[in-house]
Amino acid sequence: MKTKLLGLIIVVAVIAGAVGYKTYMDRSASTEMTGYVGGEKIGFLEDEDVQNTLQKKYHLTLDYSKAGSLDMVAADKDGKDYLWPSSQTALELYKSTVGKPVKSDVIFNTPIVIYTRKAVADALEKEGCVSSSGGVYSIDLKKLIQLVEDGTSWSSIGLTQLYGNITVSSTDPTKSNSGNMFAGLLANTLAGGVATESSIDQYLPEIKEIFEKSGYMESSSADIFSDFLKMGMGARPLVVGYENQLLEFTVENADIWKQVKDDVVMLYPIPTVWSSHVFIAMDDQASAAIDALMDKDIQKLAWEKHGFRTGVSGSSTDVSAFDGVGLAQTVNQVGQMPNYATMEKILHYLSK
Amino acid sequence: MKGKTKWAGKVLAVFLAFVVAAGCICTGCGSGGSAESSSSSGSSKGTILGSGSKELKILSGSENKELEPILEDYANKNHIRIEMTYQGSLDIMRDLEAETFAYDAVWPASSIWLDAGDEKLHRVKHAESISINPVVFGIKKSLAEKLGFVGKEVSVSDILNAITSGQLKFCMTSATQSNSGASAYLGFIHALLGDPDVIRSDDLKSEDLKKNLTELLSGINRSSGSSEWLMDMFVKSDYDAMVNYECLMIAANKELEKAGKEPLYVVYPYDGLCIADSPLAYVDQGDKDKEKLFTDLQDYLLTSDVQNEIQKTGRRTAYTGINEENKAIFKTDWGLQPDRVLSPFKMPDTDVLMDCLNMYQSELRKPSLTVYCLDYSGSMAGKGNKQLVAAMEQLLIQKKARENYLQASDSDVTILIPFDEKVMDTYTAVGNGQDLENLYLDVRNTDPTGGTDMYAAIEEGLQLLKGYDLTKYTTAVIVMTDGMAMDNYEEFADIYQSEGGDIPVFSIMYGDADSSQLDQLASLTNARVFDGRDDLTSAFRKVRGYN
Repeated sequence: MKTKLLGLIIVVAVIAGAVGYKTYMDRSASTEMTGYVGGEKIGFLEDEDVQNTLQKKYHLTLDYSKAGSLDMVAADKDGKDYLWPSSQTALELYKSTVGKPVKSDVIFNTPIVIYTRKAVADALEKEGCVSSSGGVYSIDLKKLIQLVEDGTSWSSIGLTQLYGNITVSSTDPTKSNSGNMFAGLLANTLAGGVATESSIDQYLPEIKEIFEKSGYMESSSADIFSDFLKMGMGARPLVVGYENQLLEFTVENADIWKQVKDDVVMLYPIPTVWSSHVFIAMDDQASAAIDALMDKDIQKLAWEKHGFRTGVSGSSTDVSAFDGVGLAQTVNQVGQMPNYATMEKILHYLSK
Repeated sequence: MKGKTKWAGKVLAVFLAFVVAAGCICTGCGSGGSAESSSSSGSSKGTILGSGSKELKILSGSENKELEPILEDYANKNHIRIEMTYQGSLDIMRDLEAETFAYDAVWPASSIWLDAGDEKLHRVKHAESISINPVVFGIKKSLAEKLGFVGKEVSVSDILNAITSGQLKFCMTSATQSNSGASAYLGFIHALLGDPDVIRSDDLKSEDLKKNLTELLSGINRSSGSSEWLMDMFVKSDYDAMVNYECLMIAANKELEKAGKEPLYVVYPYDGLCIADSPLAYVDQGDKDKEKLFTDLQDYLLTSDVQNEIQKTGRRTAYTGINEENKAIFKTDWGLQPDRVLSPFKMPDTDVLMDCLNMYQSELRKPSLTVYCLDYSGSMAGKGNKQLVAAMEQLLIQKKARENYLQASDSDVTILIPFDEKVMDTYTAVGNGQDLENLYLDVRNTDPTGGTDMYAAIEEGLQLLKGYDLTKYTTAVIVMTDGMAMDNYEEFADIYQSEGGDIPVFSIMYGDADSSQLDQLASLTNARVFDGRDDLTSAFRKVRGYN
């Protein structure tokens, strides 16, 4: 009897030991890494489902500091394993200033859009600048640029409650990706096609003037979007952002969305450009993170909870999950961003 | 180098104390005031809410003081301590720029200062707007009626005209310390430039603009370093109007009505409105537990119930405007417009913004006229004297002064009165040139001996000030002493009061200081006692009117 009990105790002890050891091994196998991330992906990285999937399947924890897509390339990268900007331009900048990354890959995409309020969309529709079809709104960028350049006041298009002239708020194009892509988009629109290094010169003063008219520019796409929603129509009547920002908001703040959805309008610019969220691994452990982020469960979470379009750019996507957003099934008229040399020329001119 | 870091580390503590004190300087709010104790070692003194062992230190604009009950409630329920330390949003920006940061979170009035302060170090995380507050003008209702401001849209120029024609006695916070003051100042520039699309760098070169601004600002009290202190001062003084947040106008009106005084009528200038988004943000210094403590608190503040509570304090909150049940708090009788679409003018870009602030500092502030009474009595020998000489070096040697934004302008007047049991000598320097720097030699080459009669020195200083047109200067006397003086207080008090006594006499303590006499002096002259063994920079900034 006694030996039996002793035997049992030993067995239990061995099992406990094994479990403990496994737990210990799991924890010790977990890789923690840190890097700079554009603000628009913070919701994704803070998502517990994303964190758990990364942890369970890949023993991976991604810590981050927020930084603008271009800022992060120039920032002190000591102790950082990765950069995760929101455009290929940042990658090009990285290649030209730092060198070839250990590995890089586009994890997902989202188009540049312009957010506004119903009253503003209606007023612009009367001006022939905005059109809608099947609940999906689009905005003719060329016409919008004209209104801005002409110094058209809000009150002259019937919005007497708004002070000043029509401008578009974007983040600082020299610091943050959405502003930077908007600069590329303006360049393409003015050039009537993808702007090139040789064609861009004549449009630089116009681009600069459009940005200057909008005054203070924030450095984070997440902050400007949140200001747009929180501060009401008067503070920011037109704001450049990413499509995924609103989609993510509707999931994370379903109650608030219900209250504001009739007033918030997402305008697809014609033309627009893709923001490609490219992960730049600066060491080997970070390059393993790329595989983890391309996992199909992670990619599914990225679309369903955070609105990032995954897979092949523009491929058909289930848009029914998002209520009252005016979400386009496919995003049409997406142009290429001007190449890096052209963008560099634009940025150089804008920072003068 | 090590010494320097330590020096910098101590900046905050005393800085706060000084800024807190600033709210009291010109108000006549009496001796004790609401300020915290200024003596401090290392870490700052804030308001402690709750009593748990886990602590969250928040550096905040003073306009959030009114949310203390909400924070305290949370702290008690969750057994944590929240330490709130208040200062102006631009001062918060400057502190954020430093490597050493003694707080876990910041809560300035506007994201602009948060972004600017975090531009290099990228430590700020989880920034979320807690409330939304337009910066508005509040004018005594009868006067607003007389000026024709009631029931119509008013421009910044309308208000400026009333100020410059002497119809409005007006106050605002310091434009280089506080968001509401900076907002008003930018609104003035915008209006004086004729409402351009946006203020640009070239616009600031206009001599007319500088002339108009100088004239305008000379008639405005700007002594408060943060917005809640301005409100306190306003309620206790006899100004006609102030610039402040909508929520503090509501708070001020409640107090004014309680005191049987006339309430303010709120004007939303259509061409010069600014909105403060009150972001609460975590400053990441690698402590995961603190971060959790922070995000839990922030989540709580953003729940719809608490947002509703926050609305009840006269603050707007995000997304859907003011709830029906809270609309009555925004009394239309007081000019408040709860349903107004808040449409601000465009803030200039960051570079221009900084140019505007630098212009204020270097060209527009009132020159300072400062008398330094320097204690050379025997008890100061050794340590005390060494500290005093080092402090004066920071101030007088302009290269050093610039490091801390303490440089003199070319119209500043600096008077030194070394004393022991008598006045030893007096020295005066005008401007920021060699004359000023030469004073340092006098400071260094005088040896401490003999007894102490600081009152004789102060009286001498007050006599010298009679030779100046004091309306043109920010005037103060600063006694730098160990406080162990012959007690001639009663006699001095009589003289001070008989001469109209409105010049503040600050004390900065050195050596083995004893503050009892100095507290008496501060109380008499509406000034403060500071501990000079901590950092002095902010004291000098404050006292010399760098606002």
